[in-house]
Amino acid sequence: MDPLAALRVDEEIEGRSARLAVRLNEYGYDPWGFHLGTFQRAMVLGRWFYRRYFRCDTVGAEKVPRGRVMLVANHSGQLPCDAAMLAMALFLECEPPRAVTGMVERLAARTPFVSEYFVRLGQMTGTPENCRQMFEEGRAVMVFPEGVRGLGKVWRDRYRLERFGGGFLRLCLECRTPIVPVGLAGFEESMPSFSQLRPLARLLGLPYLPLTPTLLPVPLPTRCYITFGDPIRFRGSPRDDDALIGKKVRRVAAEIDRLIQAGLSRRTSIF
Amino acid sequence: MGAAAGRARTVLITGVAGGKGRLLARRLAERFRVVGVDRLPWRTPPEGAEVQAVDLRKRSFEQLVRRRRPQVVVHLALVRHFQVDEAERHHINIGGTRAVFEHALRYGVERVVVLSSSTVYGALPDNGAYLGEEAPLNAALLSPEIRDLVQTDTYSTAQLWQHPGLSTVVLRPVNVVGPTVHSVISRYLRMRRVPTVLGFDPLFQVIHEEDLVEAVVRAVETPALRGVYNVTGAGAVPLSLVIQEAGRATLPVPEPLLGPLVDRLFRLRVFPFPAGAIPFIKFPCTVSGRAFKAATGFRFERSLRQTLTSFR
Repeated sequence: MDPLAALRVDEEIEGRSARLAVRLNEYGYDPWGFHLGTFQRAMVLGRWFYRRYFRCDTVGAEKVPRGRVMLVANHSGQLPCDAAMLAMALFLECEPPRAVTGMVERLAARTPFVSEYFVRLGQMTGTPENCRQMFEEGRAVMVFPEGVRGLGKVWRDRYRLERFGGGFLRLCLECRTPIVPVGLAGFEESMPSFSQLRPLARLLGLPYLPLTPTLLPVPLPTRCYITFGDPIRFRGSPRDDDALIGKKVRRVAAEIDRLIQAGLSRRTSIF
Repeated sequence: MGAAAGRARTVLITGVAGGKGRLLARRLAERFRVVGVDRLPWRTPPEGAEVQAVDLRKRSFEQLVRRRRPQVVVHLALVRHFQVDEAERHHINIGGTRAVFEHALRYGVERVVVLSSSTVYGALPDNGAYLGEEAPLNAALLSPEIRDLVQTDTYSTAQLWQHPGLSTVVLRPVNVVGPTVHSVISRYLRMRRVPTVLGFDPLFQVIHEEDLVEAVVRAVETPALRGVYNVTGAGAVPLSLVIQEAGRATLPVPEPLLGPLVDRLFRLRVFPFPAGAIPFIKFPCTVSGRAFKAATGFRFERSLRQTLTSFR
């Protein structure tokens, strides 16, 4: 039972996915459960959202280095559409194309159907060990240090970065992995939320429940701007003091802030 | 251990009449004197192998160890199925393993190889993708029914520091499949319609029985080996694909219904495991076999396809 089964994989997707650096077994799965066929069909759907729905304007995809790399971006828009579109940019605009592994909220692995699909699409629960294994494979990993705090942001806090955790930076120091900061703009307006409805959300076991103007959890077709920054190669020990790590984290956050502004400066209208 | 000196050496295998025990006895009989014990008889042992029907917890087993003086003991006699009640299983597994180590220490055994299992890590949603041997043994958290297997594993690994002179090797293989294996998992995969948890399809890691036997042979023969090792085979694929390759159909059941259904069917003895083991078909429990390969040079020989289609 695959809801994506009806989608036809064309030459563009076929050609680009043939150049992915993934180790597949005789059944088309990689050791972590990524499935090429499922991924290709998702790319067909994702491409439509990337080009027609959000009309993503992507700048700087050529800055993503080959081999292991961590993409660090801001998070917003209630649903992780921004993560999906960043993944699309990495597949459609990078040379060679990348299948990025998002470090996903733990809730996903416990949720029916989601738990199945996020793995097939090469996503993983965000644990340090999973991230290390991906780096060892030379893969691209995507993290949102704001986590759900960023995703559930309400309207008046838009484009204001939430506090960044520092775990991602320690991992990059440990695995000597470059960080590519990415600024995502336009997703904030795709689903404005005026309240997180915390008490009701808690009742349903969710981190937040957005109160949107349409009342439906459907993102609006805002035009979106994805801006890649230059790779940053930090030096230092992963066991450094929080203060030292915090300084580096703030540098990444400042860079992301700058890249968001760069995206917004290209914008002429929200839609 | 050269081939010339090998002939005189004795390997004692517990649980020799089981599927893995028989395969192992045949392999080891080529190079060792093999003494096999089991509670059940095995009437057609290979040439050069002696098989005795004894209970590990009885004096007759101690006598056998004293008389045959094996250099190596391979302990396969762990009950992993749920057809005996929990207390009985506990006594067989813990008591049997304890007897094996006590007699081994008393009668000059050089090496004890215990066949534990990767299930001791437990199937949890937050499991790292490929667990190393240092990962905590969480199985009893979600599946209290198998805490005796966790305890047996822990008891065996404790021998490593308690008795530095004894070469203890604890193997934690992934799901063993093959034409002769009778296990909880193989019974599950051989059901006509295999119930699964709707919306969950975890990676399921398999090793072919012949590859596992090769790994145990390596654990017996590799000089100066001691420690805890995961043992992996050709790889991992989603559970639904394992079922499909076994020539069966899945029956996805919503989780709130699956628990009571499994419990009911388990009590009627038509389902191989209790509801407490459902996490193993819902969440992944995949392990890294790198350390064992590095220590022994073990390589699997059966491809993923050969492994998955071997027990139709």
